[in-house]
Amino acid sequence: MLALEARHALRAFALDVAFEVAPGHCLALTGPSGAGKTTVLQIVAGLLRPDAGRVACGNELWLDTGRDRNVPPERRRVGVVFQDYALFPHLSARDNVAFGMAGYARSERRRRAQDALERLGVGALAAARPGDLSGGERQRVALARALAPEPHALLLDEPLAALDARNRARAAHELQRTLAAAEVPVLLVTHNFSEAASLATDVAVLDGGRVVQRGAPDRIAAAPASAFVADLVGASVLTGTARAGADGLTTVKLDGGGEAVSTDVAEGRVAVSLYPWEVVLEPPGTPPAGSARNRLDARVASITRLGNRVRVGLVGGQPLAAELTAASADALELTPGDPVVATWKGTATRVVPLE
Amino acid sequence: MRVRAPLAALAAVLTLAGCGGGGGGGATPDLKVSAAASLKSALTAYAATFSAAHVRLSFGGSDVLAAQIRQGARFDVYAAANAKLPDALYAQHLVERPVPFARNRLVLAVPAGSSARGLRDLERRGRRLAIGSATVPIGSYTDQVLARLDPSERALVLANVRSREPDVTGIVGKLTQGAVDGGFVYITDVRATKGALRAIDLPAALQPRVVYEAAVVRGSDHTSRARAFIDGLLHGRGASELRAAGFEPPPP
Amino acid sequence: MSRRGWFAGLLAATLGIAFVFLALPMVAILVNTSPGALVGSLGDGESLDALRLSLETSAVALALIVVVGTPAAYLLATRSFRGRALVITVLELPLVLPPAVAGIALLAALGPKGILGSALADAGVELVLATAGVVVALTFVASPFYLRQAQAAFAAVDPTLLAAARTLGAGEARAFLRVAIPLARNGLAAGAALAWGRALGEFGATLMFAGSLRGVTQTAPLAIYDRFATDFPAALALSAVLLAVSAAVLLAVKLAAGPEALGRARP
Repeated sequence: MLALEARHALRAFALDVAFEVAPGHCLALTGPSGAGKTTVLQIVAGLLRPDAGRVACGNELWLDTGRDRNVPPERRRVGVVFQDYALFPHLSARDNVAFGMAGYARSERRRRAQDALERLGVGALAAARPGDLSGGERQRVALARALAPEPHALLLDEPLAALDARNRARAAHELQRTLAAAEVPVLLVTHNFSEAASLATDVAVLDGGRVVQRGAPDRIAAAPASAFVADLVGASVLTGTARAGADGLTTVKLDGGGEAVSTDVAEGRVAVSLYPWEVVLEPPGTPPAGSARNRLDARVASITRLGNRVRVGLVGGQPLAAELTAASADALELTPGDPVVATWKGTATRVVPLE
Repeated sequence: MRVRAPLAALAAVLTLAGCGGGGGGGATPDLKVSAAASLKSALTAYAATFSAAHVRLSFGGSDVLAAQIRQGARFDVYAAANAKLPDALYAQHLVERPVPFARNRLVLAVPAGSSARGLRDLERRGRRLAIGSATVPIGSYTDQVLARLDPSERALVLANVRSREPDVTGIVGKLTQGAVDGGFVYITDVRATKGALRAIDLPAALQPRVVYEAAVVRGSDHTSRARAFIDGLLHGRGASELRAAGFEPPPP
Repeated sequence: MSRRGWFAGLLAATLGIAFVFLALPMVAILVNTSPGALVGSLGDGESLDALRLSLETSAVALALIVVVGTPAAYLLATRSFRGRALVITVLELPLVLPPAVAGIALLAALGPKGILGSALADAGVELVLATAGVVVALTFVASPFYLRQAQAAFAAVDPTLLAAARTLGAGEARAFLRVAIPLARNGLAAGAALAWGRALGEFGATLMFAGSLRGVTQTAPLAIYDRFATDFPAALALSAVLLAVSAAVLLAVKLAAGPEALGRARP
């Protein structure tokens, strides 16, 4: 069990977090840049001493500012995969991995290093220098290097950020398998919520130095605790004022014009979040049909193709987005500047109070 | 447009440099004088009063200065601490006939607080001496003195020599710093330190013949002024400054 | 001429001027020395003494500079502390000090009348007018060359790499030896080459502080100066030898760092 609590003054705000990660589990810390995610990793690794805090891994107490105990990083059995992998450019892949096993005899070190590389599928690259490897290969060498010394906890900083989009999906899948097999607590940091969702079953959202929501990724997406979280998970966020309406529904008068109803209960200043794939576009002038209660006049601002999908940026008093199949987008003959009507269901409308 | 400013600056710098080298073709010309290091205070005082030209003095070991003239350095006057060097240059037709202008005396100098009374005191083991290098006048005079000692005494002295300096300034510096216990310099150098050093006279039998000679360098653009400068060393302000510093008049 | 053309031409011209200006005096030495004089100079006991002394004292000075300077530069590059800027300025000062001033400064500190003069005398340590004094003078004037380069080289090492080493179980010392130094190798070698070259050529501070005596303190530059007065060809010959030795030293230090140290232009 990896347990952390820390308070530390950063430039714009104060970090104040506390959580635990069980062995064999992976907690993903997500949030925008500057939220303090990397600082948390540095505190666990021993590279930064917080103003106040406590870090324990299993029955080893790594840090306790109250008792003036601070174990230096080299004596914490922690494996770290850094954002750009931080492989030693002057050493081969095998020597990089062997670096962390100084306690063993040289032949033993090399053997273990080779094994670690092979477990990650890069055994054939043992003699290569990091400069000659691709991004994906470097990531796997960095993982091997972090795992080979059999650490008691594993930390990863933006493990997929340095990979190009093409390789990211496959790398995420392999990484998830490796992490599951690691049998130690894993703490992972990423600014990309969908990456967090694909790698971990437990996600904590960090904003302004505090954890604002924690849980399974789909729960967070389904019920974001704040506009900030909603925005982070990829929803469109509209602001407005809510009051109780007919039929037990909440009516929200949207800033900039228009109204929306929701099955959520709220009153006063609120943020309305809905996912782009829940928005249906119709040509203007179509009479309402079907069960979608919410309709908003908007203008097409941008059209982006994503393979067989199209993401349409809209402006209707406030910006929002809709995702359609490419076929549907072609059938509607959308061009930027065209007027459309965006419709979506009241049950797909999440409403949270606006702080 | 942006290129012009730096180019203009460059042109200005080059013009100024050119002006400096020309030596001011107007009123007072420059007179470049190279002189033995031991002449420093006397000649600096004399040069300040020389109205016919703006005197630019270079001091150093007479041997190095002679070498510079041999390499073509454009001095107007050369004043050395011996006769040998100017005579050699004269033989090579690099200077006009040299003129003796002063005499000096070699002494054994010790720091003012030293208890040493004579050369014997400095022959003791552990004592440190500084003398001139073999080719600089002060050094060759010292070698003459040492040659007149009997061999065992000479061996003792040489064993204590810790540095052979390129000119007297170095010897005086080592003495005033307390780095050496004694050194062979000119009496004028001791006087110039205004009490920091004390002179021990050498027995007359050991005293070498120290004659300073000066010459006009051939190829000078200011030969008449150069001759006037040397003349002043014999009869004018130069002579009185030399006297004041402790130099004796030249042999008749 | 196109705009691009004239600027490229100007760059080439300035490099040409710099090259000729720096190369000409050195070429002149070699051209004016006859092989006979060169060999004669090498056979001359005084020249050999001077060369040997130069190599020995500069090598010892370099060893001192590297052993003390490398960790010091690492500290300067990787930590901030109060007064750091002042410390760096003081360490760079000997760079801009005229050698004569350096000599006087050394005398004022370590000479018999200097600040540490009596302490040194009590300890029986003789620096002034001794070979050890030459080493001290060379170390003083050459240190900043190494310190500046080493500091820059260490500062260029990605701190994340050092952090990674720490998380892999390397203490500060092992991270310094196994990661920082190998990665800073080229800069360290360049600094060592500069420092050694400066030490080989030192004249003024050595003369003032250590004096000039054959076999004890008369290094090659002092011997050249001594010779210059009476035997210019011999001075030339010794200069040629010293030039060749300096070039060899420069090359050797750079090659020791690895072939990349010879410097490659941006691709």
